[in-house]
Amino acid sequence: MAVSIDPIHQFELQPLVSLGHIGNQQLAFTQSALYMFAAVGIIALLTIVATSGRAVVPGRLQALAETLYEFIADTVHQATGADGKRFLPLVFSLFMFVLILNLLGMIPYAFAVTSHLIVTFGLALVVILTVVIYGVAKHGTHFLGVFVPSGVPKPLLLIMVPIEIVSFLSRPISLSVRLFANILAGHIALKIFAFFVVQLLVAGAWGVLSPLPLALTIALTALEFLVAALQAYVFATLTAVYLADALHPGH
Amino acid sequence: MSGDPSGEGSGPEKAPADGDLSARLKRLETQLEGKRPKVASSERARNSASGGSAQLGQAMRLSTEFIAGVIAGGILGYIVDHLFGTKPWGMIVLLMLGFVTGIYNVMRVSGFSGRKN
Repeated sequence: MAVSIDPIHQFELQPLVSLGHIGNQQLAFTQSALYMFAAVGIIALLTIVATSGRAVVPGRLQALAETLYEFIADTVHQATGADGKRFLPLVFSLFMFVLILNLLGMIPYAFAVTSHLIVTFGLALVVILTVVIYGVAKHGTHFLGVFVPSGVPKPLLLIMVPIEIVSFLSRPISLSVRLFANILAGHIALKIFAFFVVQLLVAGAWGVLSPLPLALTIALTALEFLVAALQAYVFATLTAVYLADALHPGH
Repeated sequence: MSGDPSGEGSGPEKAPADGDLSARLKRLETQLEGKRPKVASSERARNSASGGSAQLGQAMRLSTEFIAGVIAGGILGYIVDHLFGTKPWGMIVLLMLGFVTGIYNVMRVSGFSGRKN
C-alpha cells in the first residue's frame, strides 16, 4: 500500500543551522530551538507588549495576560503562603513556557518541543535545583527536615526516611515524564487515528467507515488542547508545591 | 442591627452628634452584610471551577507518581551497585524501596496518608 504509517517521524529533530561537531555529534540550531525562541517571543508579546497600555479597562490581550498572571499568582499563594511571592516569576515563566510550547505543538505540521524528554527533564531540573539550592542556602542543615516526616514514631523513621529520600529523588522524574509522556502519546494517537481515515479511504468499499476515525480525531484534538493546558497547570502547581518545601522544610 | 433603610439614610447627620461609635460600626456591618453574599457566591463558583481542574490535575499525577518512584529506585540501585560492586543486591533492595515509594507517593497524592502535597 502506498500509504505508510510513521507516527514517530514528527518528533525528529531537523538541524536548521549547523554549528559544528563535537566528535561525531553534530551541534546544530534545530527546529526545536526555533520553536522555543518563538514561544519566548509570543510570551514576551503577550505579557510585555499587550500590557504596556496599562488600561484600567483591559483590552482582550491585556485581559488574557492578566487572567493568566492572577491564576498563577493564586496557585503560588495557595501552595507556598505569603513568602512564596519571590518564586512567582519562576513559576509564571515555567507555566507560560510549557503552555505556549504545548499549544504551538497543536498547530498542524508544527513541532511539539515538550514531547522530548530531555527538554522537560531540563525544566524539572531547574525546579529541583532551585528547591535544593534555595533550601540549603536558607535553612542549612535544617533543610534535611524535608526527609523526616513529622508525627511518625521513632522506630518507623528507619523506614520512612529512605522512602522520603527516594520520593524526593523521584520528583524530577515524575515532573518531566508526566509532561513528556502526555504530549508524546497524544500526538502519536492523533497521527495514528488520522492515518486510519486515509487508509480506509484508499481501501475501496471500506471508505464508508472513514468518518468514524475522523470523528475520533476531532474529539482527540479537543482532548489534546485540554491536556496541553492541564499539563502546564500541573507543572506550575507542582513547582509551587515543591518550592513550598524549600521555604518550609520539615512539613 | 435593625437595618431599616430610613434609619441608615438619616445616619450621617446624626452620627457626629451622638458619637456612638459602636452603633455606627453596627450600621456599617449591616450595610456590608448586604453586599457580602454576592461576593461569597462568586468566590465559591470560582473555587469549584478551579477545584475541577485541580482534581483533573491530581488524576494526571497518580500514574506518573507511581512510575517515577519505581524508576528512581531502579536508577539509585544501579548507581549503588556500580559504585560499591554489590551487583544484584543494591538493585533488588532499592527497586523494592522504589516500589514502596511509588505506593507512598500515590497514597499522598490521593490523600490516603492524611498529609497533603
